[in-house]
Amino acid sequence: MDSSTRERRIAEHKKRVNLIFKKCVWDDFLDRALEMSPEDMLEKVKESGLRGRGGAGFPTWLKWKFAREAEADEKYVICNADEGEPGTFKDRAILQEQAGKVLPGMLVCAKVIGAEKGFIYLRGEYAYLLPALSQEVENFNEKIREKGERFSIEIKLGSGAYVCGEETALIESLEGNRGEPRNKPPFPVSEGYLGKPTVVHNVETLVYASIIISEGPECFKSLGTSDSAGAKVFCISGDTDLDEGIYELEMGMTIKEFVELFSDGDIKAVQVGGASGHCVPRKKFADTIIGFEGVPTGGSMVLFNSSRSMYNVLHNYLEFFEEESCGQCTPCRIGCQQLLKGIEAVKSGEKPSEYLDDLVKLAGMMKISAKCGLGQSAANPFISIVEHFREEIMY
Amino acid sequence: MKAALKKEIDGIIKSYDGTHGSLLGILEEIQKRNPHNYLPEKTLAYTAKKTGIPPAKVYGVVTFYSFFSLIPQGKHCISICRGTACHTKGSRKLLDYLRSSFEFEGDTGGDAKLFITTKDRYLTVRTVACFGQCALAPVIEVDGKIYGSVTVEELKKILKKLKGSRQ
Ligand SMILES: Cc1cc2nc3c(=O)[nH]c(=O)nc-3n(C[C@H](O)[C@H](O)[C@H](O)COP(=O)(O)O)c2cc1C
Ligand code: SF4
Ligand code: FES
Repeated sequence: MDSSTRERRIAEHKKRVNLIFKKCVWDDFLDRALEMSPEDMLEKVKESGLRGRGGAGFPTWLKWKFAREAEADEKYVICNADEGEPGTFKDRAILQEQAGKVLPGMLVCAKVIGAEKGFIYLRGEYAYLLPALSQEVENFNEKIREKGERFSIEIKLGSGAYVCGEETALIESLEGNRGEPRNKPPFPVSEGYLGKPTVVHNVETLVYASIIISEGPECFKSLGTSDSAGAKVFCISGDTDLDEGIYELEMGMTIKEFVELFSDGDIKAVQVGGASGHCVPRKKFADTIIGFEGVPTGGSMVLFNSSRSMYNVLHNYLEFFEEESCGQCTPCRIGCQQLLKGIEAVKSGEKPSEYLDDLVKLAGMMKISAKCGLGQSAANPFISIVEHFREEIMY
Repeated sequence: MKAALKKEIDGIIKSYDGTHGSLLGILEEIQKRNPHNYLPEKTLAYTAKKTGIPPAKVYGVVTFYSFFSLIPQGKHCISICRGTACHTKGSRKLLDYLRSSFEFEGDTGGDAKLFITTKDRYLTVRTVACFGQCALAPVIEVDGKIYGSVTVEELKKILKKLKGSRQ
């Protein structure tokens, strides 16, 4: 596709799919939302088909329902702005440009579940967003206080640990502890922050929730596929020739369509979903759907052209996991180290190429036995890159 | 430990009085106020005593999060992104340049979770997993300010502009 056709198509897409970054007046939104009953709100979110945008894709309405039904004197809403997945930067962009839609999302969730306190857990590396965001939160708190609502939001800054993006680790960190994931169940919706029912949502999920409440489920549901309703914000990096990296796209595109739009065509692989996601090789572009029915993604799409070494890419990911593993459980603590050492040994010729098969088995074992998503998903890039780029690991 | 420092720490602890999960905030503030941006052992012991939190837990928290340092940091701090996009676009070259220009203490090589300081405590260099600015790769942060699409030439200019530069 030549570049002017690409530009035209991107512009068309932007026009058709424009929920998150659309400029709009939100002043009367709060009034409208506050008039609605919690049951109505829950029903709207359910009808929209919204699923969590933080990676796991759990139906949002169901989370709210569980927390709503849990009996407790206190409940909490947490906005997960820890965004630590390498290659992901949409939450940063949303908080910079559309914080005004994130905060109402937290309020709406709080109304439904019956919470009076919300936290934004902001990634330590994003401290530079703090001045503007604090101002925004202060104004918001003031505004809803004037409306007689008992809900307020507080920002907490993370201290530099990727695993704290995992919801139970995040809660541990909020409580002033090491950010070590808890066993699930109990899930946070029944026992979360201080042991109270807590809903943790990705920044983007909260924005879609406020849009759905304000404009009705139809604007969201009319986009996407039956499994993956709506749109999603993507972060495109690596070998793309476009300057911008953030696009809101309809769910359900194939990788082929995606690559045609966002690169000049010489792409041999796409890493979907960051370090913990899957690597899709060119031969699978046409029949891989971006969405919950194909490859799910928290938003990160990294493109690699034919000059890139997939060994280096995998090595970089494994180093990342080895460092960021909290060390609490053996499959992940030892597994990440062994995968890293293993590919180094194969590369240097110290181990035969068949050793990669043993490592794939190890990765499969981590997938089923690691305690949290970090150790489980470290296996994703490993298995997919070794399967499709075996020669690059060997030579 | 000096009485003034004790008083300062007492003040910080008091300002967090009773709030849940205050330990992280308290430690962050104490570290920020330290002239060398770190947490000396005595400070930790004192904080543990004053808050009634076991020293082992305080130490456990400090060693868990990469924000905290148990050794003095340099006057300036450069963080280099080693995330996928930046790595692919050559962030390693920037690190190599710094390594060849300064003498660091305790540098064991590699670029994974690096946290090294020059012998004269002029510069601390660390690596970060991703700044969330991947479209601007390679990205570095110098004393809290983000720079995108950085080349070695640009890094040289940035170093020259640092206060008290010796280059
Ligand atoms: C290691 C790890 C890191 C995670 N990091 C994040 C993160 O940075 N942001 C996020 O929203 N979710 C992250 N998650 C997912 C959260 O645990 C949780 O599922 C999510 O915040 C739920 O929000 P959602 O329902 O809106 O998707 C992470 C999970 C794991 C296992
Ligand atoms: S899987 Fe890894 S990060 Fe998760 S609890 Fe186990 S050691 Fe910690
Ligand atoms: S990879 Fe460097 S900013 Fe994201």
